[in-house]
Amino acid sequence: MRHARIIFDGRELDIDIDANDRITTTEGEVLDVALDSDQITWLPPVKAPGTIFALGINYADHATELAFEPPKEPLIFIKHANTLTGHKQVSYRPDNIDYQHYECELVAVIGKSGKNIKREDALDYVAGYTVCNDFAIRDYLENYYRPNLRVKSRDSLLPMGPWIVDTADIPDANALKLTTTVNGKLTQDGTTKDMIFDVPFVIEYLSKIMTLNPGDMICTGTPHGIVDCQPGDTIVCTIEDVCSLETRMVSEQEYYGDKY
Amino acid sequence: MTANTLVNSKLVCVALNDKAQLAALDATFNEAPYKKPPTQPVLYYKPRNTWSVDGAEVEWAKDFDGNDVAEMVAGASLGVVIGKETCRVSAEEALDYVGGYTIVSDFSLPEASYYRPDIKGKCLDTSAPVGPEIVAADKIAAPDALTVTLSVNGEQKSVFELANMERSVAELISIISRIMTLQPGEIIAVGFAGDRVAVTKGDKVEASIEGVGTLNNTLGGA
Repeated sequence: MRHARIIFDGRELDIDIDANDRITTTEGEVLDVALDSDQITWLPPVKAPGTIFALGINYADHATELAFEPPKEPLIFIKHANTLTGHKQVSYRPDNIDYQHYECELVAVIGKSGKNIKREDALDYVAGYTVCNDFAIRDYLENYYRPNLRVKSRDSLLPMGPWIVDTADIPDANALKLTTTVNGKLTQDGTTKDMIFDVPFVIEYLSKIMTLNPGDMICTGTPHGIVDCQPGDTIVCTIEDVCSLETRMVSEQEYYGDKY
Repeated sequence: MTANTLVNSKLVCVALNDKAQLAALDATFNEAPYKKPPTQPVLYYKPRNTWSVDGAEVEWAKDFDGNDVAEMVAGASLGVVIGKETCRVSAEEALDYVGGYTIVSDFSLPEASYYRPDIKGKCLDTSAPVGPEIVAADKIAAPDALTVTLSVNGEQKSVFELANMERSVAELISIISRIMTLQPGEIIAVGFAGDRVAVTKGDKVEASIEGVGTLNNTLGGA
């Protein structure tokens, strides 16, 4: 089963989506609408977002591309809900920068609280998986708490969704094809098999430091194949058996409108 | 998570905002891995599992083998509580967006490095008490004129005049609001004394700002 949050017919709804793409609200109402309909506005799929953990340099090949040694322990940084936006929504490119790239990532959504969780029990704490695009602006990188908040904490730069797939429906999260297209052209073609630190490892690691709670998310990093994105580009991040996340880039002025 | 925390959704902390600390580390920051001193405020989050309240016990941290860590340190900051949605505001108008002020204590492992996000050091459960209350913004005429003191077991260990911050409260609000839209109840801890104070199990830690209050917490593990 898949789970999402949408606005449909003027109502904000929590929905379940079955194997035949039939949409049912959590109140049991069947919605007569197709999944790809423009009548659906997709919201970020986690209803009460908690702490968002994101991994850097977590694919062997990506590490090579960026001329870094693969890390001996995970590089993890924190994001908050201001960065989230949904499927088929917009993300912005700041003015006067040279390089902003997408990062297609598998996301594990935490479903119950835990501390000192063992690796072999970790998936019991995962409600499901979704896809995010953890955009980065390389111009803003500084060597202090890198990747710093100016790079990774901007409004709208973490599209997520469209839905969460139950953990039980993904028997092996490390055998999934991962691709990104920009304006229909394939630019990233990888597999979650190349992940350095997998979800159970990261849950064990983080929960030795701190309590994980429902609504926390772990974004697991991206493989090689990152390219600059410009306003007007449409970026689609896809992870096999999980979902495809579409984002349209806009300028900073278009995004902020009157507040620009 | 503490149910009655004063924080809504986000606690942003500013590291390296003590001019004396920046000056002392200047040579270090010109070498690898930093290569040059920071050009922007150095920010980190204390996530929701860290938020706590006045009077609460702060857990003594464990290492990765499950043993008590050898050292913890404490810092204290003025906490600026956002009063209304704050998006891309100028420094001149920034203080109009402040709803009130409080105190943020930051318990952590010693700040050994600023190169990578310090999840191990900064994200410990209950390590960010905030309080004792929120004082309305109109009660504090000049936040940058305040002084933050930190005492351990009744002995004063640290005095930080906010006039010695590299960036002022208004400048920080403006810069941060151009990274992220801030919401009412979100808090910015604007600056800590560069020298964090070593604490041991069972210590009583008192963070105080005249006109804002006193935040009392006790280290666990005793």
